[in-house]
This record gives sequence, C-alpha cells and structure tokens, in this order.
Amino acid sequence: MRQALSKILFLVAATFLTPAAALSQEVSQERIVEGLGKLTMAAPAIDLEILRQEAIDGRDQPMSALPNWKKIAKLPQMVVEINFENDSVAIDPKSYRTLGLLADALHHPNLWDYKFLVVGHASSTGNEKHNLELSDQRAAAIKEALATTFAVGPKRLYSIGVGEYLPIPGSDNAASSNRRVQLINLGVFQK
Amino acid sequence: MTTKVLFAAFVFSTLNFAAPAPAQTLSYADAVTKLADDCGSDIKKLCRGLNLGSGRIAACLQQNSDRVSPTCKGTIADVFQSITKREHAQTSYEKVCQRDMIKSCGGVEGDGFILNCLIKKKRVSEECSQVLTDAGWR
Repeated sequence: MRQALSKILFLVAATFLTPAAALSQEVSQERIVEGLGKLTMAAPAIDLEILRQEAIDGRDQPMSALPNWKKIAKLPQMVVEINFENDSVAIDPKSYRTLGLLADALHHPNLWDYKFLVVGHASSTGNEKHNLELSDQRAAAIKEALATTFAVGPKRLYSIGVGEYLPIPGSDNAASSNRRVQLINLGVFQK
Repeated sequence: MTTKVLFAAFVFSTLNFAAPAPAQTLSYADAVTKLADDCGSDIKKLCRGLNLGSGRIAACLQQNSDRVSPTCKGTIADVFQSITKREHAQTSYEKVCQRDMIKSCGGVEGDGFILNCLIKKKRVSEECSQVLTDAGWR
C-alpha cells in the first residue's frame, strides 16, 4: 500500500512538474482536485475510436507524436497506479483507496462540472493484442466502479484502453511503471 | 499509516475550529480503505475475479456471509451506511440549504460556484451545515 502510494505520488509529481518538495506529501484529494482542475483552454472534441486506432497505428510512439493524442496530452491530467488481480478486471483491494481518492476528487465542487477520460495502459510484457483488450476492460472496470459504487455521473466518464502502445517516453516498454491509469480532464460536461 | 495521517489531520483541523464537530461521514477513500483493510482477504478468497462496481463485492460478501470474518461483517455495514449517507447529503443539499443559498449566495451563478460560496459561509442553518458536513465538503 505504502509502496503503491509512493509510486502514485511520484507519478503525480512528474506529471505536474512540481518541485521535489511534493514528494514528502501524501497524495490527497486536494492535490487531485488541484491537479485535475486547472483547465485553461477549451478542451478539444474527442472520438474514442480515432484515439484507439491512432494509438495502435502509432506503435510505441509517445503521445506527443500522435496528432489526436497530442491535443489531449495538454489537458489537466494525472497518472495513478491501480493494481488488478493477475489477468483479470478485478481491482486489487489494496488499490481501492486510490479509486476512493479519485472518487472524492470527482465529487468535489471544483471538478463536478467536468468530464473525464480513463486511459488504461499496459507494459509490453505478454501478447500485444491481449494487452490491448485487457487494458480496455480494466479502464472500463474503473469507469464502472466510479460510476456505480462511487456514484460519479456515468455520463461524465469515458474509458479507453491503449495496451502497450503509449509507453512513458524514455522508459523501458516492459517496465511495470508502464502499467498505469491516466485520468484526463476532457472539459465541461454539458448536462 | 495513511489512515492515521488522515485521522491526525482530521483531529487537528477540528481542534482548529474549536466548535463541536458534528459526526463525520467517511470519505470514499477512507471508506474503501476500511473495506480493503478489514475485508481484503475475504474479498480475495470469496469474491475472486469480481470487481468493485455495480455492488458485486457487497453482494458477494452478503451471499457468503457465513464464511465472512466477523471484523469484515461489522465493517461492511459501517462502510456502506456511511457512503449512502454521504451520497444522500450530496444530492439533497440544494433542498436543505435552499434558504441559505438565497440569503448568503444570492448573486452567485452556477451550481459549483454557489456551492463553493455556501461552503465558505460560517453562518448557515444547522441543517444546512450538517448536510454540507455529511457530504464531505467541509
């Protein structure tokens, strides 16, 4: 648990390019709200199918090299680590807390007008087609848990899995850090 | 560890305000942390492959209640009750706080902004104050 949280903290800090001081803090609802809430530009319209295809065709290129992903790469976002049972969509109880923190943040008044995209990523270990499917199912499982158990409006949530196709730039594609969940603010939700 | 830190932070913040603190509902994070701590091994053993969404874990633990550990049994009730209370507060605050919203935040537009205004007001009716606390917003 502690290890998972420190990993999350590291990734969050890296995402927001905050100074090292952030490393000594607990990842908290406030930080998530702050990190996800700073939407300073109009969010582009997205098409999940186009994004999926672009990721598949892109073959290990970073998000910044793909035109549609590049557009959403600039939106407020964070990366968290959520662990699953092996080859399954069942979230490990040790990761419930991370999901709970996300849920608390999504229920915060500063974020409740926004919609979010859950992006599931896999490392390159294992069959690539299977990785794509599993990451898609896992992203959908996170969306479902947020929308039911945690009562986040289902219309505010989108999910997509991109398998091993969008590794963290500069990382080893097989590294476990590439198994990650990205949450992206997609802009104001029209009721 | 994490829960302790949060608990300490909570105690500290209530001490800061000096006013008697109304009973708090658990945040989602604390509620599911409690669930994972007290029921994690039961979930892994009895609910293999099932996910948290759509009430599957709660249903599974209920169906296997004769095999669920006593600690977990007590926790399930607490956790889901607290979550329900918080959700209810989050959906009912507009009704409960209607007068306070008109009185204290009349010029503000947009429900997010109105709520932010309301949360910052120290003087709101007791019921409204309680519902904002139960909703986890203050």
